[in-house]
Amino acid sequence: MSDWKFMVRQLVKNPLSLAGIIILFIFAFIAIFAPLIAPPPEGHLDNYMIPRDGYSATPKLPSEEHIFGTTEGQYDIFYGVIWGTRSAFHVGLLVIGIVLVVGIVLGSLAGYFGGVIDEIIMRITDVFLAFPALILAMAIVAALGPSLKSVMIALCVVSWPSYARLIRGDILQVREEDYIEASRGIGASNFRVVMRHALPNSIYPTLVMASLDIGAVVLAAAALSFLGLGAPEGYADWGQLTSFARNWIVGPSGDPFRYWFAVTIPGLFILFFVLAWNLLGDAFRDILDPRLARR
Amino acid sequence: MENIITIRDLTVRFYTYEGVVHAIDGLNLDIRQGETLGIVGETGSGKTMTALAILRLIPYPGRIESGSIAFFDRDLHSEIELLKLSEDKMRSIRGNKISMVFQEPGAALNPVYTIGDQISEVFLLHQRRELGKRAKEQVDRSLRDGDGFAAGMKRPFWRWQRRLYDKIAQESNLFEPRFLSHVPFFRRLLWRLKDESNLLTVDMLKDVEIPDAARVAIHYPHELSGGMKQRAVIAMALACSPELLIADEPTTSLDVTIQAQMLELFRRIKVEKGASVLFITHNLGVASEVCDRVAVMYAGSLCEVASVEELFLNPSHPYTKALLDAVPMPGKQLQTIPGQLADPLNPPTGCRFHPRCPSAKPVCQQEKAKLKEINKDHMVACHLF
Amino acid sequence: MELRSYIIRRLFLLIPVLFGVTIFIFGITMLFSPIERAALYVTSSRQMLNIPLIIETYGLDQPFWVQYGNWMSQVFSGNLGWSKVVGMPVWDAIWSFLPATLELAIFTTPIIIFTGIFLGSRAAAHKDRPLDHGTRVMAIFGWSLPTFWLGLLLLMVFYGYFTGLLPPHRLGIPMDMVVNSAEFTRYTHINTIDAILNLNGAVLLDALRHLILPVITLSVTQVAFIMRLMRSSMLESLGKGYILTARAKGLSERVVVNKHARRNALIPVITVSGYVFAGMMNGVVITETIFTFKGIGWWAWQSAIRLDIASVLGFALFNSVLFVLVNLVVDILYTRVDPRVRLGGTVQ
Repeated sequence: MSDWKFMVRQLVKNPLSLAGIIILFIFAFIAIFAPLIAPPPEGHLDNYMIPRDGYSATPKLPSEEHIFGTTEGQYDIFYGVIWGTRSAFHVGLLVIGIVLVVGIVLGSLAGYFGGVIDEIIMRITDVFLAFPALILAMAIVAALGPSLKSVMIALCVVSWPSYARLIRGDILQVREEDYIEASRGIGASNFRVVMRHALPNSIYPTLVMASLDIGAVVLAAAALSFLGLGAPEGYADWGQLTSFARNWIVGPSGDPFRYWFAVTIPGLFILFFVLAWNLLGDAFRDILDPRLARR
Repeated sequence: MENIITIRDLTVRFYTYEGVVHAIDGLNLDIRQGETLGIVGETGSGKTMTALAILRLIPYPGRIESGSIAFFDRDLHSEIELLKLSEDKMRSIRGNKISMVFQEPGAALNPVYTIGDQISEVFLLHQRRELGKRAKEQVDRSLRDGDGFAAGMKRPFWRWQRRLYDKIAQESNLFEPRFLSHVPFFRRLLWRLKDESNLLTVDMLKDVEIPDAARVAIHYPHELSGGMKQRAVIAMALACSPELLIADEPTTSLDVTIQAQMLELFRRIKVEKGASVLFITHNLGVASEVCDRVAVMYAGSLCEVASVEELFLNPSHPYTKALLDAVPMPGKQLQTIPGQLADPLNPPTGCRFHPRCPSAKPVCQQEKAKLKEINKDHMVACHLF
Repeated sequence: MELRSYIIRRLFLLIPVLFGVTIFIFGITMLFSPIERAALYVTSSRQMLNIPLIIETYGLDQPFWVQYGNWMSQVFSGNLGWSKVVGMPVWDAIWSFLPATLELAIFTTPIIIFTGIFLGSRAAAHKDRPLDHGTRVMAIFGWSLPTFWLGLLLLMVFYGYFTGLLPPHRLGIPMDMVVNSAEFTRYTHINTIDAILNLNGAVLLDALRHLILPVITLSVTQVAFIMRLMRSSMLESLGKGYILTARAKGLSERVVVNKHARRNALIPVITVSGYVFAGMMNGVVITETIFTFKGIGWWAWQSAIRLDIASVLGFALFNSVLFVLVNLVVDILYTRVDPRVRLGGTVQ
């Protein structure tokens, strides 16, 4: 227990990780209170579709009505980034959740039983790891049809192999310990041994690092949405919003930064979200590093 | 006869996250010319730190707070204060006049370079002038004996080399050779230096009784057994015929049989090289085999120092007596020293040993005892005397 | 002998992996209708008109294994299908777009490697000092930056604000005409190399100008990663016993760090370079898309958007083979650098 307290203390002391925690809290706040911060207009059907204020192709500058301006096609940017926070958490948590479950199951099987099962599972992970992730995701999304759901499926498919390997490694480290042998000796079923003894003693660091990969997942989803392979047009998704800005990065001559908000604002949201997770991740990595343990 | 090392009032402290550790506290020690002095003590007694302090290699977060370490340099015929030396001059002493052998030979050798390379490194660093001279002689021989077409082509290069080696032999740090040694293509001109150093390396390996030295030199550390690795490390330390060799538990990580061979090697070195040796160990038996005098340390201070025979016949400090008693002997009941090692963060006041000492007196808690000579060449720091 | 048998062994192990890869890729195509899948077997635009015939010839309504067999024999005879996006066979498309991506890779890879390694060692050598903290923050930022956003921002500033200073595409229009003219011989289709071979300075400069922004965009993320890895690897190396020995030998700190510590620290970095390559491939798609730099990344994106599955699958297949080969090269490099892996056994 004191280990956790020490960890939390270290996290708060470090200015970088403290910043990460604060940023995350802000984002969580935004996500939870999205309906209050950016209320959907009357009779709006799908809260995740951004309300449009006309159909003109030229983005409008920030004004009282549209705090962050509008995109090409008159989608309100403010609404988009606020509800986009919800999408981001949704995508990140869901993908990492699924990937962890699959990874734990397959990784434990491979690590605990070894032998043929291990070989098969390892070869399968090799196959998946033979692809650069984005490209495989692209292929899957192209096959399934562009949508946020396809993106999530694709990201799950692409990410589970690394976690299966990590967890397999964790189990391997612990497998030869005496208490595993002992619990088997008193007749515990394999399932019980793994669930109650092997896993709890080895996976916490991996779990922690996995949850901090939420940032990376959201980044990948944003990239796919930006490329047009993810959320449909007008959906409240940061990557999707950024793709609108492609044609407007250069304003009329004499005022080149005129449409800065279209590019910068959604991008900043992505940046800070991912940054927060990475700051935490970096700090955690330092804490979990046995060599840097208290001197 | 001068001492080769005179340590006075040395204090080394470590500033850690949890507090200040007093690694060495007011140490006074002499190492005499040509002798093998052993330092005996438990872990944390400060023996390794003493060695590192002499070479000024105390790692962060440690610092040498105060004191003096005087080194008598044979070539200069004078004493130098090591703690006041510039880093440059200190580096010319390390590996050259004072060198060190570490406990774990496997950890001490760099896994990605061959044994020969690592030993040659010492020659190339400290004996460059000598190497330059020999290389020059090599080229001279080629210039003299070489004939035929191929030789004719190479002559201008040989003459260039000769000029370079001549410069190195005079003063190893001149601009031209130093500059060229960094330029990729022209570096090759200086190949004879490496060649000569390789010859010296193989000689050195033979000296430490490594069989088939030439072949071993081109192998990597992980391909050698523990005993061979340690011999290689010793070869590296002895390469430049140092005046002082510091050996930090050199036999602790080796098999007992190899240990015996290693001690034999140390005895031979003592006789042949005439170097002074500082031999650090926690094993009294080993100390009795190799050392002329033995110093006993506890918690950063010196307890007792005497010649080997005197110490074993007449142990005076209670700690020394307890150590000797604790050596397991068949038929005798196992004796231990009661209590716990002094907490490095919070050492006992006064004499560090007093909480565990059977003969402790009230004054022991208040002040540390000073070293007193109780017998010929036998000093003890204890209030009993 | 050691090395050769190692390579052969590894190439053998490759086969089941490639097998699995192709099954998986092909499995994805099963999600498409037979009509769309027909594009996989087509080699000219004329054939596209005869889809029912193709469906029958290749048995596109047959069970999975039959189709897989057919497709594999196709692939082995070099036919990856028809890319409707660019109107040429997939195989040709790959080779026609590859030079542009290679050009990017040629410039990006050394930058990533040298910058990352250099900054990482410096950070380790100045641990806990301003330089270390600075590079750490830089690395975390770099690692969190959405590549596409960075590209857009760079364009906004250097193309928009400094009008036309560093433009997108591979070449400006005038130079493009020069490159396609009769006087200019395209040996490699890599503009910078061709410009040098043709002794044409103007084309060279223009090509370089167009390369600057894409290269920066592509490298930022990878440099951040390598920098952090190098730093922790150096710190681990500097804590080892042989460093103390090296210092005790009297070597200068510079030699200790550069010669003894760094060589050991590079080992994990090399191990990881396969993943860096993968990261680069990911980045290539986005970067080429943003800068309309017509390489295979751009082609893949066009194909994905327009649901041109033949192209997408061809690209995926090409990529996985490439990736597997790169990993093999990395493994071999690793054995060169770390003698413990190369050889083994003790000399008594």
